[in-house]
Amino acid sequence: MVELESKAMKPIEIDPTAPDSVVRRDFLKQLSAAATAAMMSGTPQFVRAESGGKQPKATADTCILLWMGGGMAAPDTWDPKRYVPFASGIPVAKVESTFPAINTAVDNLKITAGLENIAKIMDRATLVRSHIQPDLGSILHSRHQYHWHTGYVPPQTVACPHLGAWMSRVLGPRNPVMPAFINIGQRLEGVGESEELKAFTTAGFFGGEFGPMVIPFPEDGATSVRPPKGMEPGRFDNRYALYRKLIDKNPQRDVMSDYQQESMLRSMDNAHRLLGSPAAKAFDITLESPENIRKYYPDYQPGVRFEASRDRFAGTYEAGTVGRFGLGCLLARRLVEAGARFIEVSTEYIPFFNWDTHENGHTRLVAMKQSIDAPIAQLVRDLEERGLLDRTLIIVASEFSRDMIMEGKPGSTAKDQAGFKVDTITEMKHYGQHRHFTGGASVLMFGGGLKKGFVYGATSPERPFVAVENPVSVTDIHATIFTAMGISPKTTFEIEGRPFYPTEDGLGKPVKELFSKTV
Amino acid sequence: MKRLCTRVWLAAFGASALTGAASAANAPKTPVDFSHQIVPILREHCGECHTGDKKKGSLSMNTRADLLKGGESGAVLEPGKSAKSKFIEVLITKDDDAKMPPKGPRLSREKVELLRAWIDGGAQWDDGFAFKKPAYEPPLKPRRPELPRVVRGRTNAVDRILDAHLARTKVKTPVAIGDGEFARRVHLDIIGLLPEPAALEKFLTDKSKDKRATLVRELLDRNVDYAEHWLSFWNDLLRNDYAGTGYVDGGRKQITKWLYASLVANEPFDRFVRDLIAPNADSEGFSRGIKWRGSASAGQAVEVQFAQAVGQTFLGINLKCASCHDSFIDRWKLDEAYRLAAIISEAPLEVHRCDKPSGRIAKPGWLFPELGDVDAAQPPAERLKQLAALMTHPDNGRVPRTIVNRLWHRLMGRGIVHPVDAMQTEPWSVDLLDFLAVQLADQKFDLKKIIELICTSQAYQSRAQVVAKDTDDHGYKYAGPRAKRMTAEQFLDAVWQITGTAPAKPEAPSVRGQPDPAPKAAAAKKADVAKKTADAKKAEPAKKAEVVKKVPPVKPVPQPMVRASLMKADLLQRTLGRPNREQIVTSRPTDLSTLTALDLNNGQLLADLLARGAAKITKERGDSSDALVKWLYLQAFARAPSKNELAVATEALGSKPTEQGVQDLLWAVVMTPEFQIVR
Repeated sequence: MVELESKAMKPIEIDPTAPDSVVRRDFLKQLSAAATAAMMSGTPQFVRAESGGKQPKATADTCILLWMGGGMAAPDTWDPKRYVPFASGIPVAKVESTFPAINTAVDNLKITAGLENIAKIMDRATLVRSHIQPDLGSILHSRHQYHWHTGYVPPQTVACPHLGAWMSRVLGPRNPVMPAFINIGQRLEGVGESEELKAFTTAGFFGGEFGPMVIPFPEDGATSVRPPKGMEPGRFDNRYALYRKLIDKNPQRDVMSDYQQESMLRSMDNAHRLLGSPAAKAFDITLESPENIRKYYPDYQPGVRFEASRDRFAGTYEAGTVGRFGLGCLLARRLVEAGARFIEVSTEYIPFFNWDTHENGHTRLVAMKQSIDAPIAQLVRDLEERGLLDRTLIIVASEFSRDMIMEGKPGSTAKDQAGFKVDTITEMKHYGQHRHFTGGASVLMFGGGLKKGFVYGATSPERPFVAVENPVSVTDIHATIFTAMGISPKTTFEIEGRPFYPTEDGLGKPVKELFSKTV
Repeated sequence: MKRLCTRVWLAAFGASALTGAASAANAPKTPVDFSHQIVPILREHCGECHTGDKKKGSLSMNTRADLLKGGESGAVLEPGKSAKSKFIEVLITKDDDAKMPPKGPRLSREKVELLRAWIDGGAQWDDGFAFKKPAYEPPLKPRRPELPRVVRGRTNAVDRILDAHLARTKVKTPVAIGDGEFARRVHLDIIGLLPEPAALEKFLTDKSKDKRATLVRELLDRNVDYAEHWLSFWNDLLRNDYAGTGYVDGGRKQITKWLYASLVANEPFDRFVRDLIAPNADSEGFSRGIKWRGSASAGQAVEVQFAQAVGQTFLGINLKCASCHDSFIDRWKLDEAYRLAAIISEAPLEVHRCDKPSGRIAKPGWLFPELGDVDAAQPPAERLKQLAALMTHPDNGRVPRTIVNRLWHRLMGRGIVHPVDAMQTEPWSVDLLDFLAVQLADQKFDLKKIIELICTSQAYQSRAQVVAKDTDDHGYKYAGPRAKRMTAEQFLDAVWQITGTAPAKPEAPSVRGQPDPAPKAAAAKKADVAKKTADAKKAEPAKKAEVVKKVPPVKPVPQPMVRASLMKADLLQRTLGRPNREQIVTSRPTDLSTLTALDLNNGQLLADLLARGAAKITKERGDSSDALVKWLYLQAFARAPSKNELAVATEALGSKPTEQGVQDLLWAVVMTPEFQIVR
């Protein structure tokens, strides 16, 4: 065991009281060996932070993206317009919002009914109401999602890294035993468009080390860092001990100094260490009291699992999915506390489910709002209570908005996507935001050094609800997020000789007005 | 890259007025010494991006003429008028987006003044001086190197070249490996499977002198195993898969059937290339690319994808940059990329620069007109045939060099030219590359012959170089093969082989089996009499080859095990590095990441495989721990366990192995670097 117990193989010790930057530096030192090896194989090389060589001063250490995949309609969530209640015989074009507006903790700021919990914490929020998307021809969710998650419009000649992979690559985890990039709530197998989802849920050309740890079901978080099913901890440890003994006796020990070999042993050691570390407990939401869990998921019953397949095909999918997102938010909070860097929690994109409302939009949104309202509010409150909100940037976003009558944006030739193309509403299923709208969406943010109780940008008061004040592109939203995290939008990596940036062509400009202090 | 394209030298700024004043005040009294005062400044601060083959913003400073010609946004320097020269403005501007150099320290005031003085003095340049380094320009034509003399009886041509190379670079000849190590390596390299214990024992006890060569040949002759292993290499390189973006909506077409048939029949590489470039219905998926739903940028139009794919796959040329603007990293230009793209285009193809129409229509043509060109007046199908002929033209050395380099990379762990997609890079042994390339042509483009040549060399049969973190810090020096990490497919196949848990059915839509020995004679097509074109004469030999019959169909033959290459990428394969094949991929991850290790530690897919395998193995071999361990070591590592290993493993199993005990031992064994690294 002499070799293995040498300095290089020692578990990474972190001082919990050390400033984040020190922890990061130590971790990077230990990783630098891996980086050297990566360069040898022609993988991307870090070139520079930006022209001046400096990264911006971070206003946040952790980022949580709460992803409303499928197209969350701004007029029915964060940007209320004229509410017309359901009635048979009303023209579709007359309806702007299918929910009435409600007051929030901020004077003169209204959002829509169904979001009462969030309304109470809007005094901690920055709300961008002028987010716009490019027109990608027919408005396909997966392409817009790819764009929103990587900053690049597909197709691209190289595999683009996810936002989380950028943070993983440039910043690493806050706690070295934790995976830096954790993706919660989205299945990548067995759902529609799964290939397209996989295409952006990846570290792309950065390579697997920086890719996501995928936890489709938050209640399975614990199993992802636990020995496999049916293996009790004692046996699991013995198995690892046997592995170490066999390596110790391996006649190839004379080539153990080989870098590839050494890095393989180190990765195995890291993984095993995470599995046995206190940080692993962060993945286990059942360690929270039922009362705490119910703050995120009011109907939580210990041991009762959400079963997507059953609920989906029983036609009560949305009702069934309430709670899953909530548990994801709870898990995210635990992971923030344990030192993850980037966490995405998705309401799960499944074509024609959840936020992807091509019919029955209003009814569907009642359930969707129910599934996000309490958890998001609770997440913000919990982080605030723990003193973590100021350094945690939370973003609630979607690939585009929706509208009752307009597909795309004014002038778009995109095909109408509504399930029922009626001019007059006669049934409840006609009542809702059934068209994809790319001209004006909302992005809600909390913490991470942004202003509190602040609204930026506006959509037109009359249809079409395009952003008429301070439009903010995907590139600039990303630049804002990266800047908050201390990553210049112009940070440069070189892949295949091509310079590559976290925002498209390095052109992203942070929306400086959103920050509480000058950045 | 748009940022680079649109970078302007400088918007009109107040700075220019200041410049004028300063310049007038400091008008030079003595002439500036170009070579001693100016050259060092230009080299230090501008050289990285604007000399040699680099010309960012299309500005090169290699010669005075280049510099005066200016860049994308026009002239940068007017001799005698520093105040009017953008060249000076960008040095002193405070605009971060326009300043030069974009990184690193600003130029000192003294240096700026020197440059001003130099410009004001007429920007004198020493006659004949150029910044151009002796940049390497790869030859196009094949070259037959003279083989060095045989040393110590090592007659294989690869060894003759490398022995001389080692002598010249003063590197010790790598030590030879033993039979067991050789058997495991060559099995995994040629057929992607572990040697079976019985066959291995036979090989180890075989006393014949040429048994290694015999083994190589036997493995190459296992057509199905060979095909199903190399299928992954080609799927990556030709971006073919069984599921993925585009397949569902008809925007992409598989070439699996054609590819499998070609590999199992060991179709000559020249024909293989022709089938892909001037395709039939089964092979057209490659040239068609991926038609994305919705709109795609001009640089990703299917025609441009075709140019990129042909460039990267067969020529080792990266046309991705040049499909948007003139490349900054090599010599390829936007128009050249579009000319190649236009060959396949049904309609006139307008050149787009950085996604904006240029108004120019690309004239179909290929990258090396010195070998002849396609006839732009012909319809696309005919143009593609002409392109295919040019790609496989006997004077085209680039295509053979590119593929033999890829094979060398696969077998020896590192390219002769590296990275393998940048064939403009200087090889570490020109002779080796050139030799292998002409050898391929001599062997009628039989790829197996090249693999055989490499695998029977002493170079291949020597110990893998031990690579430290800093080994390549000062450039690569050949010192033996480099170890390779198992691919996802190799790892899974090996686990399935040991545990007998391969899936019941393949998912690839292809018949598994041998080429039909009696393909219908009717299938052989007469070549149509092609119109004589101006270039036809040059392309003549390749044209004749078109007469050959179609790839023989595959006759189903039952196979003992489904291979991972025939399955869709599941979570475990992805974790282990099987790529998403929307882009061409030419190398797999070399290191095992922590996330992968995590999955291997507790992922359910692997755990289930091992549990099922353990049940089977315990039933079949559960009588003796000792025998079980010995069998496992032979199967997994192609060697017997050492005394110590045997002791540790049997102790873990106990006298009567249990399923759990076997499962945990299996896990420990397949997790060792010796198992996962092919060395």
